[in-house]
Amino acid sequence: MDALTVFIPLLPLLAALIIGLGHFLGVLQGEAKESLTADISLWTLTLACLMALVVAGAELLGNNTGLFVVGDWLRCENVVVSVNFISSGFSVYVAALFALLLVIILRFSVNYLHRERGYFRFFFIYNLFAFAMLLLVLSGSSVLSFVGWEIAGLCSFLLIAYQYDRPVASGNAVRVFVTNRIGDTGFLMGMGLSVYWLNTLDWQAISHPVDRLGTAEATGIAFCFALAACAKSAQLPFTPWLARAMEGPTPSSAAFYGAVMIHAGVYLLILLQDLFEQAPMVMGLLVVVGALTALYSYLVGLTQTDIKSSLVFATSGQLGLMFMECGLGFWEIASWHLAAHAVVRGYQVLTAPSLLHNVHDNPIQAVSPLLAKSRWLYLASVQRFWLDQIADWALVKPVQQLAHDLSYFDDQGLDKVMGCSAPALNAAASLAQLKEHSIGARLNNVVDDFSHGSGLAGTLTQWAAAVMHWLEVRLVLRGISKATIGRSRNLGRRVNQIERTLLRPRYLVLFVCITLLVTF
Amino acid sequence: MGILSLLLWMPALGAVFLAFAPGDKPRVIRCLAHLFSSVTLLLSLWLLIHYDQHNAATQFNENFPINPDLGSEYALGVDGLSLPMVLLATVLTSVALLASFSITDSIKGYHLCVLLLEFGILGVFLAQDWALFYTFWEVTLIPLFFLIGRWGGKRRHAASLNFVLYTMGGSVFMLLSLLAISEYDLEYEGTLMTSMHQMAKDMPWQEQVLVLLGFLIGFGVKLPIFPLHGWLPLAHVEAPSPISILLSGILLKMGAYGLIRVLVMLPEAAHILQPLLIFLGLFGMLYGGLLAWRQTDLKAMVAYSSVSHMGLVLLGMSTLTQLGLSGAVLQMTAHGLIAGALFLLVGLLYERTHTRNIQDYSSLVHTMPRYTLLMTLVLLAAMGLPGTVGFIAELSVLMAGYQQWGGLMVLFGMSMLITAAYCLRTIGVLFTGPVRPAMHAIPDLHSAGLLAAGILVVGIVLLGILPEALIQLSAATLSELSAVIKSRPL
Repeated sequence: MDALTVFIPLLPLLAALIIGLGHFLGVLQGEAKESLTADISLWTLTLACLMALVVAGAELLGNNTGLFVVGDWLRCENVVVSVNFISSGFSVYVAALFALLLVIILRFSVNYLHRERGYFRFFFIYNLFAFAMLLLVLSGSSVLSFVGWEIAGLCSFLLIAYQYDRPVASGNAVRVFVTNRIGDTGFLMGMGLSVYWLNTLDWQAISHPVDRLGTAEATGIAFCFALAACAKSAQLPFTPWLARAMEGPTPSSAAFYGAVMIHAGVYLLILLQDLFEQAPMVMGLLVVVGALTALYSYLVGLTQTDIKSSLVFATSGQLGLMFMECGLGFWEIASWHLAAHAVVRGYQVLTAPSLLHNVHDNPIQAVSPLLAKSRWLYLASVQRFWLDQIADWALVKPVQQLAHDLSYFDDQGLDKVMGCSAPALNAAASLAQLKEHSIGARLNNVVDDFSHGSGLAGTLTQWAAAVMHWLEVRLVLRGISKATIGRSRNLGRRVNQIERTLLRPRYLVLFVCITLLVTF
Repeated sequence: MGILSLLLWMPALGAVFLAFAPGDKPRVIRCLAHLFSSVTLLLSLWLLIHYDQHNAATQFNENFPINPDLGSEYALGVDGLSLPMVLLATVLTSVALLASFSITDSIKGYHLCVLLLEFGILGVFLAQDWALFYTFWEVTLIPLFFLIGRWGGKRRHAASLNFVLYTMGGSVFMLLSLLAISEYDLEYEGTLMTSMHQMAKDMPWQEQVLVLLGFLIGFGVKLPIFPLHGWLPLAHVEAPSPISILLSGILLKMGAYGLIRVLVMLPEAAHILQPLLIFLGLFGMLYGGLLAWRQTDLKAMVAYSSVSHMGLVLLGMSTLTQLGLSGAVLQMTAHGLIAGALFLLVGLLYERTHTRNIQDYSSLVHTMPRYTLLMTLVLLAAMGLPGTVGFIAELSVLMAGYQQWGGLMVLFGMSMLITAAYCLRTIGVLFTGPVRPAMHAIPDLHSAGLLAAGILVVGIVLLGILPEALIQLSAATLSELSAVIKSRPL
């Protein structure tokens, strides 16, 4: 049964490749091919789901060995990056659950996205996402998990910007992606420290190292992975990205931020539970972060007026609780909590558009009078504790300022020496040409303008090219080629002349006479 | 009859069949030509599978004396140096035929000439006898003369005449050098490459230098080496685009291939002339790059970029080390694929718009997304972007050059910068910018064109990600060749 784990992530990847290539080559296009696309996705993902269920069943019966090794991907001195898949324990159950949820949400989106402009794009990204999540969950090596982690982040970016012509959507997508990159840094640093201290990249060996780690080392690695988990699962101070991520189509919101991807952080914590047990400080940190997030989400959630936002803060609140449970060492509870929350929240986000109908006659419960009276808290809650503004002020602004200063240095200093970048110049030049063309004027000579460098380096290149060009035209093309041809033509003419002279009758007779004289 | 003879004569057999085919049925002719070129391709793939890459010597040898008086033999064989070139030749011929659907004018003669050209090229790479080598070297000229002169552009007559004159002029020097070596044929050993090696050992170094200079002129015309490249811009621009693919993809490699063989034959002279070779290599790289940067004609730009890229080959082989030779062979393969793909794509674009001026184009990404993807990948590969086969080759040559001359490689870096400048500019001008009305409604790549370009691009990327197989293919032979050079220093 272990070998099946390889195919669980590969099947959605296959579907993604088929749909992507088909759409790229123009085979899958138009309304007629929508059902084919849906069928390909559904069949492959259902098959993957069945396999995941079989593996989970085999695990229940105790038939799995725990790890399926495919081979080595990379060897660098004594660090080996192996391709292996976990086939036992929590990972398998989570994979089965995620696969099941992904199939259900996929079935939902078949109807939901009917006749949408980006139908094929959505299914391509969704399948890629399914591949990424299943790879993340099942991979036994942190490198492959990171691949899944990154592709999932990328898919999230692509689907938030699903309607990329809307500036809000694309702006939010970038913001979410950049926030998540902070967590990716943590993941990468965790991997780097594991290689440095443990010489391994396998989850199993990171959790149970051969020589026991010192507390300091364990804290270092655990902190890095905890940072990654916090960013992915929207814990403080990263929580605001989750609210921005709701721009995508509803099924993708359900899959990414209700059911599946948002739990990746908690999954990482549970996977590395033995490592965290050795780092009490990080455990304490998890409790604090989880509690703060839960409190924050509760308070902000109270003032939300639309369904999706309140679901978002309910999600981050629950995730905060999971982080707390992990921090307190209740790994079993956290696992069950994760599974239950994935199902419930996936359902809620999926039905968010019709939720108002369902709760039509249920009035909203009033908050307790103590909370209702505190106006400052209300203001803070409405403003979501100014987290976005603080991030803007503390991070975005300084970076923008720095970029501005550097750009000034670039314009005033470097560009004068090295020249402007060509594409910008060309775009400006071609725009100007277009304008000239439309008013019928030819202000400057196009040919001279073409190989034009700016700045000191550009001018030098231009001169060098001009000299080479002169050399080429004068010496090589005209000098050697033309001169050779001309000279050989002259030579030919001469030879012809001589021959013509020789063929005159008097010379012919003379030659015949001479020949006769010589022979006899 | 051995596998090599079969491989060599298959295109010639195709040409014979074509000669008797009815001239008014284009489908039959195209089918026949494709059939024979595909069979040749399959045979070369069979050769690849059965080739033992750990064996440095020539394999699948065939010997048959043809002229006992002169000592010349019909000797064929492949080693790690010629096998990649044989494969490149068969692949590029098939690609060129796929790109030939636009040629509708007297296609019988055209296909006949292409198959004859393939025959000549394969002969050059398979020959293990200098007389045979020289014969095939000249054989390639005849079909090319007609292909450029009959199916070329406006200045085709000048181009074909120029090309033949240059190459013939070069071959005279090559012939003189070969004759000079055979003067030392004391035991009457004939013209086999191995026996000529023995003869060259007896030469005093002064004569070796003169002989190597003769070879340098002969092969340098094909390679091309500055200032012997005068034929190249004209011929590449005027030739029909499938023939440009073959010209820059494989014909130029004949020069590089011959030069490597000769450097191994005359190691003492190679050491003496090393500074000259380095200078010519580096100068060619900069010279070709700067001129490519100036060209507004797309085909001329690609032609000059060939000069620049083949300068890299010369630089690689002038290190006379295994790494450098390996880099040179890699760059030969890489440039074969990249320049082939560039000429193919430029030709396909020209078919659709009938202009080759870069400035006439704009914002093609909207109308030709597939073309944009492929062309961008190929231009990036020409720049030597990591992940493409061009990078592997440049890196090998750069490392080999740096080990030997250190700081001189600054010029190498400058040439890479210039290459990046014109490649990126081309991408920018062709695919971005304001939308022009004239650039609407250009059909994207499809069927044969897409297949041909796809094969080359897949090769470029695949060999860039997994270069090990390609490097190992010639590793054994090159280590032996470099050992020969090293064992006889000045």
